[in-house]
Amino acid sequence: MIEFLTSQLGVSIILTVCVLGALLGAVAYCIYFERKISAWIQDRFGPNRVGPRGLLQPIADGAKFLLKEDVIPGHVDKPLFVLAPASIFLVAFIGFAAIPWGGQLQLGDNLVNIQVANPDIGLLYILGVASMGVYGIVLGGWASNNKYSIYGAIRATASMLSYEIPMGLCILVIVLTMGTLRLEQITVLQTGSWLGFIPQWNIFLHPLAFIILFITALAEANRTPFDMPEAEQELVGGYHTEYSALKFGMFFLGEYAHMITASALMAVLFFGGWHLPWIPWTQADAHQWYAVLAKILVISGKIAGFIFLMMWLRWTLPRFRFDRLLWLAWQRLIPATLGLFVLAVILVYTGNHQSPLWALGGNAVILVIMLASGAMARREVTGRQGNLPRTLPADTRGFVGSPSS
Amino acid sequence: MTSAAAYMLYLVFALGGVGLYLLLPKAGVRQTFAGAIIGLLAVVGLILVLATQIIGPGSSAGFFYLFAVVAVLAAARVITHPKPVYSAVYFVLVVVAVTALLVLMNAEFLAVALLIIYAGAILVTYLFVIMLAQQSGSPVYDRRSREPFWAVLAGFVLMAAVAGRAGDLPPSVADASESATATAQSDQPGNTSAIGAIIMTKHIVALEVAGVLLLISMIGALAMVRKELPVETLEPPPKPLGQIGREVQPF
Repeated sequence: MIEFLTSQLGVSIILTVCVLGALLGAVAYCIYFERKISAWIQDRFGPNRVGPRGLLQPIADGAKFLLKEDVIPGHVDKPLFVLAPASIFLVAFIGFAAIPWGGQLQLGDNLVNIQVANPDIGLLYILGVASMGVYGIVLGGWASNNKYSIYGAIRATASMLSYEIPMGLCILVIVLTMGTLRLEQITVLQTGSWLGFIPQWNIFLHPLAFIILFITALAEANRTPFDMPEAEQELVGGYHTEYSALKFGMFFLGEYAHMITASALMAVLFFGGWHLPWIPWTQADAHQWYAVLAKILVISGKIAGFIFLMMWLRWTLPRFRFDRLLWLAWQRLIPATLGLFVLAVILVYTGNHQSPLWALGGNAVILVIMLASGAMARREVTGRQGNLPRTLPADTRGFVGSPSS
Repeated sequence: MTSAAAYMLYLVFALGGVGLYLLLPKAGVRQTFAGAIIGLLAVVGLILVLATQIIGPGSSAGFFYLFAVVAVLAAARVITHPKPVYSAVYFVLVVVAVTALLVLMNAEFLAVALLIIYAGAILVTYLFVIMLAQQSGSPVYDRRSREPFWAVLAGFVLMAAVAGRAGDLPPSVADASESATATAQSDQPGNTSAIGAIIMTKHIVALEVAGVLLLISMIGALAMVRKELPVETLEPPPKPLGQIGREVQPF
C-alpha cells in the first residue's frame, strides 16, 4: 500500500482528486471575487449578506443552481442540448492534467512529480483539449433552436478559430526558445537568473508574445472585451440563453475553469511556473514537502494575479464590435505573431535565443513596425470616425459642422 | 495470420456490410432494428476473431478494444444518422477514439496533431457550415444515401483487402500498448523530436509541397470569394460636410 501511494501513479491519482476539488472550490470563489471586484470598481459593496463579508455566497449560489427547476424547452434538440454543457465542463477540467504544480517531491526513495501526467507533448495536450472547448458553445447554440443562441454560436466559432492562430504562434515562440514541449522542463529552464537578480523568465525575453497570448486567452475564454458570443445587450445571453439551473451553472463554471487553465499556462510559459526568485533552495531542500508546498502557493499566487487582471479588464473596458474583433486577430495579431515567430527562429539559428538583449531588441523592432503600420493605415477606430469626412478643409478645423457649409 | 483467421475476418466483414446496408438511410422501408442487430453481431465477431486469432488471448489490450469499438460504432453512425449535425458530432467521437488508439500505440504527437487539426479546426468548420446552411430542415440529399449498395460493397471489399494483411504487420497492438506504458513511465525523450527530425530531413520535399498546396488552395479560396465590383463603387459617396452618423446633423 505504502509503495503504491509513494509511486508516481498513486501520487497522480491523489493529485487528480485534490486538484479537481481545489479547482471546483476555486471556480466557485472566482465568481464571488468577480462580483466583489466589480463592486469595488463601481463603488458598491458587492455580496455581503451570506456569511461574514459574503464569503458563503458561492455555497448559496451553488445550492440555488442545484435546487432550481431544470427547464428543457420544448423546441430544442434534446440530446445535443444536454451534451453541450457536459462537454464544455469536461473539456474545461481535463486540461489541468499537464500543469506542473510544484516540481518534484521526495517520497521515501522515490522522486515523484507534483503533476498528474508529464507527457512528452504536455503543451500540445493543453492546446488540443482547449481546441475542443468550442464544441460546447457551438452545440449549445445550435441545439437551443433560437436565433440569439445561433448568433452567439456563430460568433464564438469565428472568434475562437481566429484567435487560436495567434495563440498557437505565441506558444510556438516559447517552444522554440525553450526547445521542449514538457511543461515541467519549461519551468525548470526558467529557474536561473540574469545578473543575479533578474529571474530568467520568458517574459523578459518575449514580452510582446506574452501580451498577445494574454489577449488571445481573453478571447478564447470569451471574456470582455471579447465576449461577443454572449453579449447580453444584443443577444440576451448568446449560446446559453435557453439554459437554466445546473446546465447554465456548468457553462458558467466552465468559463472560469477556462480562465484558470489559461492563467496557469501563462504562468508556466512566461512567469516561471512555480519558480520563486531570490530564494535559493539548496539541493537538499528543493524536494522536501515544505519546498513543494511553497511552490504550489507560488504558482497559485501567479494564477490568482492573472485572474484578477482579467476581472479588472472586464469591468474596465467596453466590448469590441464583432467585425473589429476579427479584424484585430487577422490583420494585427497574426502578422505580429508571425514576425515574433520569425524573430524566434532567427534567434535560435544564431544561438542568441537565451540572451535578453537580442530578444528584447527584436521585440522592440516588431513593436515599432506594428505601431508604424497601424499609424500609416489611417483606419478609423470607431464607427463615428468612419462617418466623418477623411480630410477637413482648413477653415473648419476644430469646428466640424459649421453652419456656413 | 492463418488462412482460417483470414476467412473468419472476411465473414465478419460480410456480416458488417449487410448490417450497414440495412442501416443506411434510403428510400422505402429502413430495417434499422435488424441492421443494428447484424452490425453489433459483426462487431462482436470482429472482437472474437481479433482476440483469438490475431492479437492472441490473455493480452492487456482492453483499452484497445474499448476505443476501437467506440470508433467503429461512431463511424457507422456518421454515415447512417439522418441529421448532418449529429453526423458531425459522431465524426468528432471517431477522431477522439482514434486519438486514444494512437496514444495506446505510443504515437503521442500524431494523436495530438489529429485532435488539434481534425477535431479542433476542420470539424468545427464543418459544424459551422452545417449550422449556417440548415436553419430549416434538411433536404432529401442530406437525409438519404444515394447509392447505399455499391458504397457498402466497395468499402467493405477495400477493407477486407487491407485487413487480409493485418497479421503481417510487425508489432502487435498488445506489444505496442505495453511499450507505451513503459515509455510513459520513463523519462526518455518522446517521439515528437524524432518525428520532427524525420520530417525536416527525409521528407522535406513532401513537407514543402504540402505547404505550397495549402497556400495555393488558400489563394484560390480568396479568389473565389472576392466579388468583382465596378470601379466607381469602391469609393464611398462623399457626404455633406459636418454630417455625423447617418442622419444626425449637429447644431
